[in-house]
Amino acid sequence: MDLKTFKKQESKRKISKGYMWALFCAVFWGIWYLPGTVVWVLNPFDGMYGSIAKTSGDGISLVITAVLITAFNALTVMFALMLWNGVLGKYRELGRTLREFHPCSKWFFLASIFGGPMAILGSFIAMGFIGGAFAAVAGLLYPVIGSILAYYWYGEKISRRAAMGIGIIIIGGITIFGGGLLTELSSGNVQWIGYLGGLMAAAGWGIEGAIAGKGLDISEPDVGLTLRFLGENIIWWIIIVPTLAIVGFPMYSFALQAFEPLTLLILVFAGITFGFCYVCWYKSFPLIGVGRGQGIGNLYGFCAIIFIFLFFGDIPDWTILIGGTFCIVGSFVMFTEDSSALETLRGE
Amino acid sequence: MGKNRPIKFRILELLLDGKEYWNYEIVSKIQEEYGMKSNFHRDSINFDILELASGGMLKDVEQKVDEEGVYKKDFLLHRYTITDFGKVRASDACLRGL
Repeated sequence: MDLKTFKKQESKRKISKGYMWALFCAVFWGIWYLPGTVVWVLNPFDGMYGSIAKTSGDGISLVITAVLITAFNALTVMFALMLWNGVLGKYRELGRTLREFHPCSKWFFLASIFGGPMAILGSFIAMGFIGGAFAAVAGLLYPVIGSILAYYWYGEKISRRAAMGIGIIIIGGITIFGGGLLTELSSGNVQWIGYLGGLMAAAGWGIEGAIAGKGLDISEPDVGLTLRFLGENIIWWIIIVPTLAIVGFPMYSFALQAFEPLTLLILVFAGITFGFCYVCWYKSFPLIGVGRGQGIGNLYGFCAIIFIFLFFGDIPDWTILIGGTFCIVGSFVMFTEDSSALETLRGE
Repeated sequence: MGKNRPIKFRILELLLDGKEYWNYEIVSKIQEEYGMKSNFHRDSINFDILELASGGMLKDVEQKVDEEGVYKKDFLLHRYTITDFGKVRASDACLRGL
């Protein structure tokens, strides 16, 4: 065999592995919306919602409950990632990377501010107020925010093709949000906080990606992602949950009640799916390129809708289906522009 | 000194002299310095190089078939050099405080 055949063979291997990782990411990410939706009706979160709603009103109660759910999600993701790093033998690298605060790990902590209290909290709020399918599809808008940020921040050019993709995604976003809003406006009962949650998810993930990228390219993603979730755990368990407890919300009493088998099982399920969707996402990038990795990863929107249909029997509104299709088509238009990007993604 | 830094920092630092290195040279050097002897670690370090290359910090300048099995028999070997972007990333991140 000559060199050319070997090169072809190697690139084939890379591409098939890369697509596999990206597809795993989409499946895990999509599945995450199942435990994310179910957890709302489980002890202690349903009781917590009811009891806080009596004194503080529905809106505040849902947000406070979402905080506790997100905090537990961060905790179980952290456990899943620690297990993963243990299997890979990366604890030492974890320590080495953590110590590089200035050049590297500070970006993960900064990213966790947007990833956690903005994106994931927003997703849980959207799941609680409006539903899993809406939450999943609303998150698909994140590439728009990400590329606009990269434009202003790194001076990254937005090509005509990318702009077209962004346009298609925005049409999708208007369909998703507008469709739901119009129906609710006519019934006179608009769940504003739920829609805000959807926007928080998209904006948060877009910003998180742009920030975390600054540290992830010079660290190992398995390690970087774990530090990103370490940051999120610090935010929830050391800052926000205690603060809410001091303000007078019964955070700890409900948090302790979460330690019952079914609730824990669902939370662990959420942690594993969410943790691994991130890991798979980053594993796909060097193999097939960030663009394709993100494009395929975005199929999570469809996966979520399919899983929600299979497990709950819910068929989402047609506006969510059509809007979601626009978003996924748009992300493919946007991400698959450079076919030679397999070797080098960034210009030299 | 190198032992205390994340592996990708060290890889960039090794290549910062602007010379071209084969992936097996980099991998075996890291394996030795960090005491990571297993084949699993070997592949993991190689994946780090792949990630640095896909991030545009290293450039794959030459390939040859590993006929003697210096790294993995009948697989491709790659030769890398650092890019300008890699030099920038290496100097603003990795070299600070060395």
